[in-house]
Amino acid sequence: MYTYDTFDRQFVRERVSHYRSQTERYLAGELTEDEFLQLRLRNGLYVQRLAPMLRVAVPYGTLSSAQLRKLAHIARHFDRGYGHLSTRQNMQFNWPLLAEVPDILEALAEVDMHAIQTSGSCIRNVTTDQFAGVAGDEWVDPRPYCELIRQWSTSHPEFDWLPRKFKIAITGSRDDRAATAVHDIGLKVFRNDTGSIAFDVLVGGGLGRTPVVGQVIRRNLAAEHLLTYLEAIMRVYNRFGRRDNKYKARIKILVRAMTADGFREIVDEEWSHLEGGSSTLGADDLARMEAHFARPDYPRLETESTELDTRRLSHPQFSRWVEQNVAPHREAGYAIVTLSTKITGVPPGDVSDSQMEAVADWADEYGFGEIRISHEQNFVLPDVSRARLFELWQQAEANQLATANVGLISDIICCPGGDYCSLANAKSIPVAEAIQQQLKDLDYQHDIGPLDLNISGCMNACGHHHVGHIGILGVDKKGSEYYQISLGGHAGGGNSAATLGQIVGPSCARADVPSVIKKILDTFVDNRVVDETFLGCFQRIGIEPFKERIYGTV
Amino acid sequence: MALSNRIQNGLRLTPLDEWMPESGDGLLLDVADEPEARFIRAPVIAIRFPAFTDGRGLSLAVLLRTRFGFEGELRAIGEVHPDIIHYMRRCGFDNFQLAEGKCLPPAGSKTDSILAPYSDYYQASVLQPEPASRRIRRVA
Ligand code: SF4
Repeated sequence: MYTYDTFDRQFVRERVSHYRSQTERYLAGELTEDEFLQLRLRNGLYVQRLAPMLRVAVPYGTLSSAQLRKLAHIARHFDRGYGHLSTRQNMQFNWPLLAEVPDILEALAEVDMHAIQTSGSCIRNVTTDQFAGVAGDEWVDPRPYCELIRQWSTSHPEFDWLPRKFKIAITGSRDDRAATAVHDIGLKVFRNDTGSIAFDVLVGGGLGRTPVVGQVIRRNLAAEHLLTYLEAIMRVYNRFGRRDNKYKARIKILVRAMTADGFREIVDEEWSHLEGGSSTLGADDLARMEAHFARPDYPRLETESTELDTRRLSHPQFSRWVEQNVAPHREAGYAIVTLSTKITGVPPGDVSDSQMEAVADWADEYGFGEIRISHEQNFVLPDVSRARLFELWQQAEANQLATANVGLISDIICCPGGDYCSLANAKSIPVAEAIQQQLKDLDYQHDIGPLDLNISGCMNACGHHHVGHIGILGVDKKGSEYYQISLGGHAGGGNSAATLGQIVGPSCARADVPSVIKKILDTFVDNRVVDETFLGCFQRIGIEPFKERIYGTV
Repeated sequence: MALSNRIQNGLRLTPLDEWMPESGDGLLLDVADEPEARFIRAPVIAIRFPAFTDGRGLSLAVLLRTRFGFEGELRAIGEVHPDIIHYMRRCGFDNFQLAEGKCLPPAGSKTDSILAPYSDYYQASVLQPEPASRRIRRVA
């Protein structure tokens, strides 16, 4: 993973003193509420319903074991003993004191971490595939490019005061686990016909109030041009994006107003001046960055472990976990393990201090000291020897991190919603819990098969409800919490393009959500043909049979 | 760098629709104005920020400095708040007229932490045309 050099360390330390002095000036009345709001947002600090919320940057979802231990320490000493894995691969703390935030940042800086640009109208933490660098289906490791973008976008002189927040995601795999089509900029990195690294650039995707799938504006962009081309896009957006209405300020609205072709023309004109400029990446820049992500020296392992087979036979629960939560690794004998946080009774993505410490220990014991956070709000251990999966599983079980539900209906993506978030229309955590309660039977969930269920507490769509196979959106109906359900959404990847869900009909009260979900699943079970997934079935039969089952009539 | 409310000795700032290159007047731009080559004949260009959160003036400044080669005084006016100045400087502004009611603490470490909070930055800028990775050996 990327290791800080003296330059990075100095920058982050200066960021801590900078932010500390801003906090002090605010507390002394030298900065207005409005000024400090903008400054603290650029450092990840929101003021929420009950307390401030601090969002710590986990660059492209990668952590070292030492970093995760420090997060556990922060959860214990500055918070109430837990943290929350966000849908953008970051970690959030829900109960810090505003005056203590500079101390938290200082603790983070000790392990080369920060909260820079995790909120506010600026370029946010770049996200990527949680399996980057180890995935069996990967074309190119996207992490060096994530880090180059992180450095380039950090406190950028021109692009820190944009019309609205700006999210960039990169994938380097056939299966787009980073959902690049629903980001302001989505990048697909691959090797082109001549064997060189190149990018396809999508713009204008996004969820929120106006969900849109991004459109490709440039194919086969050579890696050296990555930053200058991004500069051209950012400049066009910064100058022409709407600032009069925050609901129309995202780049997707600008792209729609100009059309993708019109937008491309303006970007290309801008780029014609920037191409070859000083932000062009030299072969040495790329090589230096790639070296940070060089593959570890994997000890050679037996391809298949008979021990693993025996254990699977004698422990059906373990076997199911292997089937569901373990993904193929590019190296023979290794596996990628997803540690599910989605256990009934715990808000999706919440992890305790002791769980964090346990995960950090496993990363050292079973891997190379590295942990990932997925946008599905789970932890990932990227390098586990297959022969030791059983040992790890037992420990994960004991720490409530081994629910065998990755990719199943109870692996719910869920935003903090009305329990914490001041923007919410409705709660989302209790809805997730009610659904998990109802579907406790893992056999049933396995029978249903792969199913993404995503919940957002408002239109801002932090829970990605538009791209859930089943999406649930909290709405406010005359002061009460209602839920609008959509079907058939899909974040893209494999052979299918990203698709936004269709609303199934009028919204329902919270108490009715589980029964509506049950009707949706029954419709699927009655209509599916052999081996058909929920999404496949929906795409074949359409929304009508579901409507009929839920509302009685079409 | 100058921090002042100074109006250049007798120099007028004229809005774009009335400004003529040969007038010798300073040019007053709105953040939404489109930059043009003839602007570089102005002795001073002032860009008015309607809000301190409005980054359009930053891009406009970069274009004037880098695309059109403007070398005269570039002044930020309007909602110029002290904490934004470090961005403005890197975009090519060299004179700042603080918003009404805004002031800087007397010179000292506190002022430095506002105006120049970082000793260096990662990316290239108008002030520093080469990114850090090309200027210094980045070693762990
Ligand atoms: S979707 Fe809405 S309720 Fe949920 S976290 Fe985002 S802003 Fe808050």
